Amino acid sequence: MRSLSSGNLWKIISISAVLSTLLLVAGFGFAVKDLLYPRGESFAGRANVPALPAGGKLSEGKNIEITAIGDSLTKGTGDASGEGYVKQVVALLKQKYPDTSVRLNNNLAVNGLKADRLQKLLESDKGYSFALKQSNIIVFTIGGNDLFQIASGTSPGKAADGLKLDKLKSGLPQGLNRLAQVVKRLHAINPNAQVVYVGLYNPFYDIPEYRGGSLQIQQWNEQAYALLHQYPNMTMVPTFDLFENAIGRYLSSDHFHPNHDGYAQIAARIVQSLE
Amino acid sequence: MKALDRLLPLIQNETLKIWKKKRFFVIVLVLMIIIPIFTYAQHRIDETNKKNFKDWRNELVQQISEYQNTLSSDRIPEEWKRSRRIAVQQLQYYLDHDVNPNSPDGVTFTRSFLSNAVTLFFPLLVLALASDLVSGERTSGTIKMLLTRPVRRWKILFSKLVALSFYVSLTVVVSAVLCYLISGAVFGYNGWGMPVFTGFVIHGSSVESGFAHAIPQGLYLLMEAGLIWVSAMTVALLALMVSVLVRSTAASIVAMMAAVISGTILSNMASSWQSAKFIFSVNLQLTNYLAGSPPITGMTLGFSLVILACWGITSLIVSFFVFTKQDILN
Repeated sequence: MRSLSSGNLWKIISISAVLSTLLLVAGFGFAVKDLLYPRGESFAGRANVPALPAGGKLSEGKNIEITAIGDSLTKGTGDASGEGYVKQVVALLKQKYPDTSVRLNNNLAVNGLKADRLQKLLESDKGYSFALKQSNIIVFTIGGNDLFQIASGTSPGKAADGLKLDKLKSGLPQGLNRLAQVVKRLHAINPNAQVVYVGLYNPFYDIPEYRGGSLQIQQWNEQAYALLHQYPNMTMVPTFDLFENAIGRYLSSDHFHPNHDGYAQIAARIVQSLE
Repeated sequence: MKALDRLLPLIQNETLKIWKKKRFFVIVLVLMIIIPIFTYAQHRIDETNKKNFKDWRNELVQQISEYQNTLSSDRIPEEWKRSRRIAVQQLQYYLDHDVNPNSPDGVTFTRSFLSNAVTLFFPLLVLALASDLVSGERTSGTIKMLLTRPVRRWKILFSKLVALSFYVSLTVVVSAVLCYLISGAVFGYNGWGMPVFTGFVIHGSSVESGFAHAIPQGLYLLMEAGLIWVSAMTVALLALMVSVLVRSTAASIVAMMAAVISGTILSNMASSWQSAKFIFSVNLQLTNYLAGSPPITGMTLGFSLVILACWGITSLIVSFFVFTKQDILN
């Protein structure tokens, strides 16, 4: 630069600066035109078609792809380590099938999700179906929030007072109907994956006046199993027994979600059911 | 033509003066240090994502799901939820059309670097150029020599303004070019034609995608740079005014920095204080309109441009008025 005379330097700076300014003003013009007078234009894009994994026995395949959907239980709420049952399932499967690559595709659980919302997501959300189609194991929990809301008439996660067991009884068919829709959609999206539904438990077993709720929960579990039974690739693992005598050991401090050990037991059961 | 003949040497003089002060070298040096750092950080993020996700779609799906989770929390302020809701709908739009919004390439990196730099980094660079333009002459005493020449005072300030604009334009362009060249070495030099969606219309917290359309990322980058230039020029005009008004260069930098930083803080709190949208620094983030997320509910590009223009024109008037009228005393 030292060799440049100030006249030449001036020429270089001014010309490049004027060109830069013109470029930027043009860019600004485009931006204003595009933003103030937007023209709607359809963009076709491509259809996102994932590579379908092979069905069949897990031990024979080359890789295991897991997708988890559902509510806060799948999210892992209550587990201080943040693993929930899903990550523990992945870890256990890695132990069970050391020669196979095991990976968690997506954990799409949303806290407070209810079955009717999940059904809508499965229907319309391309991301959900994309992730589900890729996987050969699908684990899900749903229905707890539906039942809680039916029983209490409020949103989930609120204090446990004011639960009405008779309401729970009368609302059961409505909740199961939603579950049936979810299961149907799930089968339509991916008929080959091994699907595991985690059964419900009564988090209030230790409160005498809500102990009876366990009978309704059992009704739910039984009928949910009947729904899943229609499809040979689907099954259900029970959890209700974990949260009766051992409720202090397995339930987290919010008295609703399992803690790390509770999730570990659920994960162990899921892995036992997979082959 | 004759007026221009007399102005050009003045502009040349001011341009070379800024060049000799080596401010532009400092800017280039800062860019050469900062861009590799960000490139490396981005590279690490990409590595982690590659390990955790098979496909960008899985990553996007996961991101949407995480945003949805924050929406269900009662502890999140409503303003955040609103921007998250908007983001969810936009990401969903990308997913539905099978377009990767964060594809790892040099152009995408440059695009996100520029849009992140618009509120603080570019104003800072502009201040490095503009803050001592007049006050510096006063500190060093050269202003007397400048003003005792038989040249009208407005011409002197005008030539300073033109020289400043030159360097602002160069700063924006050089930032983009350096960013592309440096990050491209890691992420690859492609991505110009990749589609980017713009034109989302926001109503409250819902996104209307009827006007959304895809434009090539190269054009998007150009539009972004143009918007950055406008906000950088506004900062430059204000800094010029402060430099005329305040005698000390340090004071003028501090005053401008305080205004710019408080603007970015205010735009986070603006949900409860609507009048904050009339402050210039809340309106600097013009690139957000392109991406489709206004800083404050109800703000539009037109509104922000009018506000910035008002501030810019006012500061021009004040600068010229004060500079031509004020007495130069010791």
